[in-house]
Amino acid sequence: MTDFMLMQRRDALKSLLAISAAGAMAACVGEGKAGDAGTKRLSSSPKLLPAEMALVSAVAQTIIPKTDTAGAVEAGVPAVIQSLFTEWGDDNFRSYWRAGLDNLEQHFLKSGGQPFANMTSSQQANLLGKYDAKAYAEQGFDDFYKSMKSTIATAYYMSEPGATEELAYEAVPGEWRGCVPLSEFPKTWAT
Amino acid sequence: MADFDAIVVGSGMSGGWVAKELCERGLKVCVIERGKSTIPTEDYTDMMDPWDYPNLNKVHESEEKDHYAIQSSIYNWSADTKHWWVKDSEHPYETAEGTEYTWRRGYHVGGRSLMWARQSYRLSAIDILANKTDGHGVDWPIRYEDLAPWYDHVEEFAGISGQAEGLEILPDSKFLPVFEFTCGEELARDRIEAKFPTRRMIHGRCANLRRATPEQQALGRGSCQVRNKCHKGCSFGAYFSSVSATLPAAERTGNLTLMTDQIVAELEYNGDTNRVTGVRVINRNTKATKTVTANIVFLNASAIASALILQNSKSAENPNGLANSSGMVGRNLMDHVGGAWGSGRIPMTPELTEKTTYGRRPNGFYIPRFRNHTEEGDGYVRGFGYQGGVHRGGWSGDKSGVGKDFKASNQTPGDWYISMGAFGEILPDERNRVTPHPTKKDQWGLPLPLFDARMRQNEINLIKQASKDTVELLKAAGAVDIRSSEDYDVQPSRPGNAIHEMGTARMGRDPKTSVLNKYLQSHDIPNLFISDGSAMTSAACQNPSLTYMALSAKAANHAADFYEAGEI
Repeated sequence: MTDFMLMQRRDALKSLLAISAAGAMAACVGEGKAGDAGTKRLSSSPKLLPAEMALVSAVAQTIIPKTDTAGAVEAGVPAVIQSLFTEWGDDNFRSYWRAGLDNLEQHFLKSGGQPFANMTSSQQANLLGKYDAKAYAEQGFDDFYKSMKSTIATAYYMSEPGATEELAYEAVPGEWRGCVPLSEFPKTWAT
Repeated sequence: MADFDAIVVGSGMSGGWVAKELCERGLKVCVIERGKSTIPTEDYTDMMDPWDYPNLNKVHESEEKDHYAIQSSIYNWSADTKHWWVKDSEHPYETAEGTEYTWRRGYHVGGRSLMWARQSYRLSAIDILANKTDGHGVDWPIRYEDLAPWYDHVEEFAGISGQAEGLEILPDSKFLPVFEFTCGEELARDRIEAKFPTRRMIHGRCANLRRATPEQQALGRGSCQVRNKCHKGCSFGAYFSSVSATLPAAERTGNLTLMTDQIVAELEYNGDTNRVTGVRVINRNTKATKTVTANIVFLNASAIASALILQNSKSAENPNGLANSSGMVGRNLMDHVGGAWGSGRIPMTPELTEKTTYGRRPNGFYIPRFRNHTEEGDGYVRGFGYQGGVHRGGWSGDKSGVGKDFKASNQTPGDWYISMGAFGEILPDERNRVTPHPTKKDQWGLPLPLFDARMRQNEINLIKQASKDTVELLKAAGAVDIRSSEDYDVQPSRPGNAIHEMGTARMGRDPKTSVLNKYLQSHDIPNLFISDGSAMTSAACQNPSLTYMALSAKAANHAADFYEAGEI
């Protein structure tokens, strides 16, 4: 890879976790619209609370379910997100996530009548599928959700099952072949 | 009697070469490095798998903001590479009002030879004649023919992968086998060259051992394992660095002393004999000072640090610092200009659908300069080249879809994408300079660097055309859904951003307008040599490290010749 391409790759990675003031504002606005959260005080715990973790796990597993390979939960994605929350991010990051998760939960409470994590998997897939489609179709609908989804995907495809079972990974390729049959290497390279 | 025959200030790309050549000529050499030692088994992070990294290999957010505000903008910044870069909080610098400068560097044995992007291109006869031809800067005191044997010399030792093309604008190196194109690149090349018969898309030329030679293996270096982890340090020694190649070669002569953690504050100078007698160093940990003496001094501390050391070496008889009778030390600061880039999708063909790649090539394609060569430039002199690649898309979380379908969409390789960016030549301009700050000092009591450099009209006009040409080339390659710098107000990159700083002690024919002669020897002081980027008389548009290597080998051998003859 040239340095120019690495540069692009890095920008992509950076954007996964980027939090802008504008993004945080948008999440707050969404939260107000979604329900009564605007008047509610959100936790300032340095850890994601059990209810928040349940939502993260359910959303992650709905986006990347278990098939013949691990899903997001089996691959340890929720633990990575908890670690980003407790060890990596600053207060701005934590309040962005907390507000964003609360907004999501309020939305699903309203549309599904119960916390997202308590729904059946088909209800989860149905409701999140609609929400997801809207998030990518409408600019600014929920930037937090898109950022969370990118983080979930990164955590999954960097995990051992995600990289080595779902995708293909060679720690030491040892050789370069610029033009090989897809039939020989049918899977996306993990990295 | 002096402590050493020669002192080499700096252990990076160029200092390693000087040390190797002088040691192999039998001189006792002391390399002085301001940073810490580099221990590959401890400092290289290339043996980790993606899942070994905490927090997705991200640097802690507050640490990045507080300590690496400038360095963290490097393209390969991550938790496992941050130790190669200085803490901005500990190593500040200043910029003149209304100017900006990005100075990225690392303080450790090997310097930026450990973090470089390894792209290696010769300058051409056209480049060496450029100043003379269009009147900017001063004429190089050497010609391509003077440099060619030194390119041969360093390439065979360092190991440069590439393919001979016989191009006048980009002379061939002594090549190791090439890293082949992807099928997407073969198609893009055919289409671009059909549309533009005088433009070429060639294989990137890089300092990775595609097949290690016996000479390289004897130094403990192995062939490239195609992991694309070079920026973490390579445990196989498969890309060229001081640590993998030149310093071990110097070490095995028994003539090398490597002094770490010693910051060179100034040169010691004897006005009666007009010689530098050594250097005064400050221990970066204890702040203790001492003097190290030698009969020859080489500055290889980088174009910024070498220029500052000279300017800080002031005395009543040399109020502007040493080797600076021309007043050119610190001036003509150059880099390469970026800001023209683009990418797009290459729609599938029956051939492309069925093909993919194996391995992670640490390289890409190169499009040599065509403006002001085979095609006219629009309102500027000199030119630019492009680096890029064509690959199948990988996984992405930044797209719609949930569930099995989303998973499946990532499991199969995606479309083919082309991306590329330009590097353009910056003219030598005396107004672009670095000087010691008049009042502000670092924790060792040394003046902070004060940068005063701008991109000027030639650079602006050049990068605007490079941006337009990017889209033209992408379209010629058949790309669609093009995103490029043309979507924005095209602006040249910030000075320093290409990490190719050079020109601050330029070579030239006239001692009144240049610092170094054709031997890279100070016009003023015969036993002082400078062969880092400072020496460059013009910048060309190619990545410069290969030229620093050739100039360093050339300078070291001239110095050894003069020393043996008793002339210095």
